[in-house]
Amino acid sequence: MTTTFDTGSALAISNVSKVFNKGNENEVIALSDVNLNVHTGEFISLIGPSGCGKSTLLRVIGDLTGFDSGSVQVSGKSPEDARKERLYGIAFQQAALFDWRTVSKNIELPLELAGWDKSQREVRSAELLEMVQLSEFGNHRPWELSGGMQQRVAIARSLAVDPPLLLMDEPFGALDEMTRERMQNELLRIRLDTGKTIVFVTHSIPEAVYLSDRVVVMSPRPGRITAEINVDLGERTETTRESDHFFHCVTSVREALRLHDTSGTSTSSFRGEV
Amino acid sequence: MASTRDRISNGFVSFLWALAGIAIIGLMWELTKLIGTIIDLPFNTSNQAMPHIWTMFSAFSLPEVRGSDTTVFQAVLAASTYSLTLALGGFVIGVSVGLLLAIIMQRFLFFERGLLPFVIASQTVPLIALAPLIVGIGNQISFGPIQWSTTYSVMFIAAYLAFFPLSVGALRGLQAPSSTSLELMRSYAATNNKVLWKLRFPASIPYLVPALKVSAAAAVVGTVVAEISTGVRGGIGRLMVEYARETTSQPAKVYVAVFGAILLGLVVAAAITAVDVLLTRNLPKKGLA
Ligand SMILES: Nc1ncnc2c1ncn2[C@@H]1O[C@H](COP(=O)(O)OP(=O)(O)OP(=O)(O)O)[C@@H](O)[C@H]1O
Ligand SMILES: [Mg+2]
Repeated sequence: MTTTFDTGSALAISNVSKVFNKGNENEVIALSDVNLNVHTGEFISLIGPSGCGKSTLLRVIGDLTGFDSGSVQVSGKSPEDARKERLYGIAFQQAALFDWRTVSKNIELPLELAGWDKSQREVRSAELLEMVQLSEFGNHRPWELSGGMQQRVAIARSLAVDPPLLLMDEPFGALDEMTRERMQNELLRIRLDTGKTIVFVTHSIPEAVYLSDRVVVMSPRPGRITAEINVDLGERTETTRESDHFFHCVTSVREALRLHDTSGTSTSSFRGEV
Repeated sequence: MASTRDRISNGFVSFLWALAGIAIIGLMWELTKLIGTIIDLPFNTSNQAMPHIWTMFSAFSLPEVRGSDTTVFQAVLAASTYSLTLALGGFVIGVSVGLLLAIIMQRFLFFERGLLPFVIASQTVPLIALAPLIVGIGNQISFGPIQWSTTYSVMFIAAYLAFFPLSVGALRGLQAPSSTSLELMRSYAATNNKVLWKLRFPASIPYLVPALKVSAAAAVVGTVVAEISTGVRGGIGRLMVEYARETTSQPAKVYVAVFGAILLGLVVAAAITAVDVLLTRNLPKKGLA
């Protein structure tokens, strides 16, 4: 793997390791020798059992936490520079909207901090509200919205400064199945409209397959990447989720997850099955 | 917005409850006196020791001192107003200092570790010991033509009592934002000051409002007690001492002063409630306050 940066690379992670509580009894190797390259406009999902380091990897990319060794380049820059230049937007499982601000003002927060003036901000937040189909709710308070609507506001907010990269940590994790599928379609539409590079963390295999160009499978203790599965579903339609190809991809991801399941004694028997 | 209106009407209902509470206390007072005439109670229920409620009210219109044309009521009102200004001064100073300390302690872990024990220890010094000390030190202070006055000592003591609940409440409030909110701000490349202003401070409001209430009460109590222990004239504390000396001739008079102190408390509580409504009008009602 070369460390040279070509213009098509949105994210270049090589040999990254991260240890929490180094040297004491609680030491956890959250990331071990992680290599990942994402090209511009690609949609990748990180999937793996709880504690395998998905969130940690996302935080490393976003410079929300540091790492111990290796190198990370976000659009050819260090994570810190990328963060300071506001090259990514982020959304979490909790919408984390600010109660004391209206929906519009929540979306405008990153713009305020980036020094946009008021009229520009208002134009932009109206545009984004339209994108997430919440135009009538700009003056509402966040707590007046349903969980799905709040999550849409959070996504609009992550897109506010129009960053090329979107980091999403289980953004639909707290939603019911119906809302979740609707949100997935909306995210795909937004992706088509904006051409963002997206790194998406999820626990759901079908969700990962449905959304992504590539599913990155991780396994814990130590947290590492164990498989990458290319998904080639083409344009998603109403029948995509029922297609054989979709099931085939879901099965591949499931097997990749099972292969490195070190949590039980049944590892070897699973291996036998595969 | 409807919720603001709800809050105001809620406030009105609480006010009615407060009135009902006062009425019940009055009734119990009279009832105690009545029982005292029938059976022997372990305390004195005579009109000398426990004047009738109506005697207290009639004392409102007594002349302040024999032959003066100001009534007791006017005197109490004037004294209450004076004490209120001192309490307000102490409150503002206390709140400012408390807030500043909270911000410093939040920003620098080092200061939280180093300062918090002193902040807590400061409240264990008894006021009785503190008051003469402050007056003593204060009297030696002068900035050119400006001379320290004992009223500053009263304000200082009020501030001393008021800053504590506020700094502790504010510190908790400033530390309230979730790690998710803080990570969001970091992802926006927000400076520490922006994080303080746009996240920590608004998030602290539900913690700040109850802290303000406690601080305001502390400032009032501090003022009255400080007036008594420093001997500052013109306030309700001093008036209470003076009227208490007249119990033999005018037993109801001192209670007018007590009403004045209660009034002081009510005015302050109403003001804080107004601040509460103003600050929390945009927050969900399930707030901590
Ligand atoms: N701030 C921290 N301090 C210490 N250990 C941490 C910290 N954050 C994460 N870890 C540890 O690092 C490992 C990876 O955590 P991480 O949150 O990245 O997992 P995850 O894959 O996102 O899990 P989940 O699916 O449950 O969200 C875990 O063992 C966790 O205990
Ligand atoms: Mg996680």
